[in-house]
Amino acid sequence: MGILSVFKRKKNLLKPEQSSASEGMLVFENTSEVIKAERVLKDAGYNVRVMGPPPELRTGCDLVVVFPIVIQLQVIRLLKAEGLEPVKTVPVSSPLLSPVSLFHVKEFGDFIMVRAANMKLSFEKGSGLIVNISGGGCPDVPFVAAQMIGKTLWDAPSPREIGYTLCAYALSLALEHGKSLCPRPQA
Amino acid sequence: MEELVDVRGLSCPQPVLVTLEKIKASRSNRLRILVDTDTARENIARMVKTVGWEVLEVEPQGIGYIITIGKAA
Repeated sequence: MGILSVFKRKKNLLKPEQSSASEGMLVFENTSEVIKAERVLKDAGYNVRVMGPPPELRTGCDLVVVFPIVIQLQVIRLLKAEGLEPVKTVPVSSPLLSPVSLFHVKEFGDFIMVRAANMKLSFEKGSGLIVNISGGGCPDVPFVAAQMIGKTLWDAPSPREIGYTLCAYALSLALEHGKSLCPRPQA
Repeated sequence: MEELVDVRGLSCPQPVLVTLEKIKASRSNRLRILVDTDTARENIARMVKTVGWEVLEVEPQGIGYIITIGKAA
């Protein structure tokens, strides 16, 4: 049995709504283009999100922009106007080609750790108090960590505002994910 | 003699979390933390400041350090 027949069998098991591509992935040459594309598209009001590429699509940049496929033309046109051209635009046509979550969440007793790409953010469950930031190795991490540790998820500055590297970007994703996991305590 | 907390071999962020729990549970004003990486040493030093403690001394110990921390005056 060849590898193609394996793909074919899996595809046949899909329900119609799962096999129809409703989303697409924009693959860029480097991470800074991904970050810029996300900002341009979100500023224009498009519902896009950054995720990890499926293993088959890894090209060195470990992030892709996922968007509703129905707006593909508008998205490409807008990015082109901003000088951003994706290397590839791929429809999410099967689970094998689905983007993967950038987040990994682990509980340690009263604490939760959220890892986004290469950065880890740990906070207390009840209060949302940030107790540790690690990972990355970018030059701005010590500064960003010093500004955030000891503050709550909601009071801490956004790493995107005070940092300038991929680590700061990944940390801002971890912060937003942390907020979604932890309800804000009532004042 | 201060309590010695051994966090060697624990992966990030556990050295910080264990230290924080020891600080909360501690009845004394000082603790000694045994770490085996620079990252753990830096992360613990950063965290203790936020809970009103401070690093009093860092002494090399084998491949790591013993960090003495205490309640800030």
